[in-house]
Amino acid sequence: MPLAPSDPILALTDVHLDLNSDAGPVHILRGIDLEVNHGETIGVIGPSGSGKTSLLMVIAGLEPATGGTVTAAGQDITTLDEVQLTRFRRDHVGIVFQSFHLVPTMSALENVALPLEFAGKEHAFERARDHLEAVGLGKRAKHYPGQLSGGEQQRVALARAFAAEPAILLADEPTGSLDQDTGHEIMSLLFDLQARVGTTMILVTHAPDLAGRCGRIVKIADGRVAGD
Amino acid sequence: MHSSTPSSRPSGIPTWALAWTRDWSLAWTLAWRELRAEFSNRLRGFRIFLICLFLGVATIAAVGSLSAALTAGLEADGAKLLGGDIDLRLLHRQASAEQKAYLKANSQAYSEVIKMRAMARPVDQRDKRAMVELKAVDQAYPLIGDLTTKPQRPLTDLLRKQNGLFGVVVDGNLLARLGLDVGARIKLGAATYQIRATVVTEPDRVASVFSFGPRFLVSTASLAATELIQPGSQIRYHHRLTLTPGTDQEQWKNDLATALPKAGWRVRTTTDAAPNVRRFIERMTLFLSFVGLTVLLVGGLGITGAVKSYLNARIASIATFKCLGAPGDLVFKIYMIQILTLGLVGVIGGIVIGGVGPMILFSLIGEQLPIQPVGGLFPTPLLLAAGFGLLSSTTFAIWPIASACQVKPASLFRSKIAPINTGPTWTYRIYTGVGVLLLATLCIWSANDRFFAYWFVGGSVLTLSLLRFGAALVMRGAARLTPPANALWRLAQANLHRPGAATPGIIVSMGLGLTVLVAIALIEGNLKQQISERLPDKAPAFFFVDIQPDQVETFDKAVTGVDGTSGFQRVPTLRGRIIKIAGIAVEKANVPSESQWATRGDRALTFATEKPRQSKVVKGTWWPADYQGPPLISLDAGLARGFGIDLGDTLTFNILGREITATIGNLREINWHSLRFDFAIIFAPGTLEGAPFTHIAAVEADRTIEDAVEKAATDPFPNISAIRVRDALEAAAKMLVGISAAITGTAALTIIAGAVVLAGVIASEHQRRVYDAVVFKVLGASRRRILGVYLLEYGLLGLLTGVISASIGTVTGWAVVRFLMHAEWAFLGDVVAYTLIICVSVIVTAGLISTWQALGQKASVHLRNE
Repeated sequence: MPLAPSDPILALTDVHLDLNSDAGPVHILRGIDLEVNHGETIGVIGPSGSGKTSLLMVIAGLEPATGGTVTAAGQDITTLDEVQLTRFRRDHVGIVFQSFHLVPTMSALENVALPLEFAGKEHAFERARDHLEAVGLGKRAKHYPGQLSGGEQQRVALARAFAAEPAILLADEPTGSLDQDTGHEIMSLLFDLQARVGTTMILVTHAPDLAGRCGRIVKIADGRVAGD
Repeated sequence: MHSSTPSSRPSGIPTWALAWTRDWSLAWTLAWRELRAEFSNRLRGFRIFLICLFLGVATIAAVGSLSAALTAGLEADGAKLLGGDIDLRLLHRQASAEQKAYLKANSQAYSEVIKMRAMARPVDQRDKRAMVELKAVDQAYPLIGDLTTKPQRPLTDLLRKQNGLFGVVVDGNLLARLGLDVGARIKLGAATYQIRATVVTEPDRVASVFSFGPRFLVSTASLAATELIQPGSQIRYHHRLTLTPGTDQEQWKNDLATALPKAGWRVRTTTDAAPNVRRFIERMTLFLSFVGLTVLLVGGLGITGAVKSYLNARIASIATFKCLGAPGDLVFKIYMIQILTLGLVGVIGGIVIGGVGPMILFSLIGEQLPIQPVGGLFPTPLLLAAGFGLLSSTTFAIWPIASACQVKPASLFRSKIAPINTGPTWTYRIYTGVGVLLLATLCIWSANDRFFAYWFVGGSVLTLSLLRFGAALVMRGAARLTPPANALWRLAQANLHRPGAATPGIIVSMGLGLTVLVAIALIEGNLKQQISERLPDKAPAFFFVDIQPDQVETFDKAVTGVDGTSGFQRVPTLRGRIIKIAGIAVEKANVPSESQWATRGDRALTFATEKPRQSKVVKGTWWPADYQGPPLISLDAGLARGFGIDLGDTLTFNILGREITATIGNLREINWHSLRFDFAIIFAPGTLEGAPFTHIAAVEADRTIEDAVEKAATDPFPNISAIRVRDALEAAAKMLVGISAAITGTAALTIIAGAVVLAGVIASEHQRRVYDAVVFKVLGASRRRILGVYLLEYGLLGLLTGVISASIGTVTGWAVVRFLMHAEWAFLGDVVAYTLIICVSVIVTAGLISTWQALGQKASVHLRNE
């Protein structure tokens, strides 16, 4: 179904997530309702264990919701199988992790080119180089993650997340592993890139000041939306 | 920024083909990026993988190349070993004048050689005597190749009559045995010869450890004077000829069969010049190849472990690939390409060493081999070894790669990504099954004996399953046992069963090699004991052959008259060949390998009125003592089963050129272990009595009177040969030592492969050991105490692995000895004890090396990192 510009890019309706453990089922998300429009930036805050990261996983199709519906980029992703979910992520979602998760055996350039290569895009390397330049690492293209500082690694990760110009960008504590100054640099870069690409961004953070830079703040507590 | 369009599609190429190409091309690109890092790291993460693959492939390639070189040598020297292009052999009788005329008319050159066993005695030392392999040759000998002697002179000169004595050329060891020199006189039968030279090389003789005696080469012209040519004597008449170049040997054989259909000779061409040697090479190749495959199987476990360790270190990358939109099958391709590329490195290393190794070996010991091998690289065994290597690396890698592909990309959101413990999807399980089936098929297809190959494949699967089951039992037992009060024991016991324990890895990897070693050691030990201890106790001291019917009475008296002899037996015998089974020519009959011995050449036949005491009639009835009807035989029941025939069916024999068809009157179960005279085929009275037969006899005697018995039996009867059983058994034992050294040496490779895999298993859990050691230290455990826990754990594991392997190996050895070799079985405790010692030592040593490193780690570093 084609997505009209007025339709929300992301809609979660009564989303539940239960995980089984030895001690019995654990209710992680308990009926989340959320609508996000094109180009919006949303800061998700909440105490540890409230379900913030799980919410990102559900939106990315990495953890199947046990109840409710998740419509992203015009698709109800709760009905997709593993292969379709992989395609969905490839075509619509970019993710930035707290621990960067660059592939250690590949250079910065190759890491950035990966999503473009997976999507079968033309000129993957030229485009990856542009994205690296955009994060200020054009001269470090041939360096391996092990040869880069934490801040530089996260810049590469940002370039990689934006390389395929995804409709939705999910960022999970992107500055959690960095010192304060570097963290600020990264956040500025993140917002710059988001503005330039026009992507919809959902940022999970513990830091209220970072969340404050987003257009909208969603507070999660005990698996529910406690404030929007 | 560039536009986000997918790659444009070239016209004319189907979409699926384009997607397929793009998928594989991307997989290759990404695989190469990962491999590039591995190569720059000197393949450190793949050393166990490469060693495992290299050992297996090199062993299979080396065994195959050795076999091919020897077989090629056999084929290249076919005409030389045969003594001509064609060899026609008759027993007891020469070819008729008409037959000889045909052979001479249809050949380029013709020669006659007569062979038999006989007793030689120095003229001047009457107490010494030796059985020799007599060979009488004409002036045309040798048709092909050269006989070299010391001193080197023309053979006709050496053998001709000079000063009233014919000359003889003998093996050097006969001179040593009888204390003679060249120039001495020696008596053979009724004739006296002068030793003129020793044999250096004999073109038509395959050197063999097992032989009834040294060579005694004389001229045919001198043979009559020996008086050894008696009716029914075990004399082999060879008629050899060379053909005009370009003659088709098979066509020549067919023409011969048409021209002289009832000659009854055994015809050999250059392609089957030395079938016994060829069979020996094939058998050795078969068993050594199985050992090589076991090395590869043990290595396969190492491959699985190494791939698993490699992927565990890359689990975050795999999750990242999936998170960025790589489908599971693309991830599978990326890692399978890497494994296959590295597998190729291991395979190439293996085939290079396996191909070149035998050449180096031949350059060192080639002279000592019974046949001259042909040097060079043999593509077929090398390709086969490469096939086994690539197939096994693929098969053993599917499971860990497909399991790693199951990693959930969501795990990237967690601080530590757990190693994969789930199995692959059903699709990949099926792929693994197909890989195992292909390996089994290749193994069976490439074996020169399918029967053994089926047993090998079945046995391997069963052994692996039993070892895995044994490991599960150990873990379950350790979990259920009440923990002992002693902390040291409690920790060691807990380490055996806790999640991620090395128990199954160690028991299966070391256990498989040890099981093979125990089984081989027990089989070899039993054979050795059989030959060197049990057989000499039961076997007679002598067998006597070529006793003429008119000598029987005096011979019996002479032998039994020696004080201390007992168990004297004597039976008539002559030789004949089975040519038809139930009316079907032997060449066309489907005879299973275990029964082919009976159709391979001439068989000893006998006739009797009474049933042999030690055999039992299991079907039909024994004939009356005065039977005089049509030809009737009593047949070994096992042979009847092999031939697929029963009472009332017929066997047709060629006996001295006459075809005799006999009906099966009864079937017997024969106890071959009794070592009493018995025959697979016994004729009823009335058929063979008219043929020229001789008698064979046996007698038991103490070692101290053996010389006296030999003298009494041979001095008055120069034509009778005495075979000392002790000498024959010693020769067999000597041969067994050589064979078992080759097999045990190769089998030791399974232990080396097992030790490599073990090192891999221990290395993979090194980090955990380090962490445990650090925590123990922090909690106040002394270094000695921690070492004690690990020593106990590895000691227990070694002992349990040894007990499980020894049990499976013992059952395997027992089954082979009892049911395949039909020999007596004895449990050899010392062999099992050695196994346990080896096992405990290897496991404890490997474990302690790793533990020692773990104990040396500073606690603070690891705690900070955590």
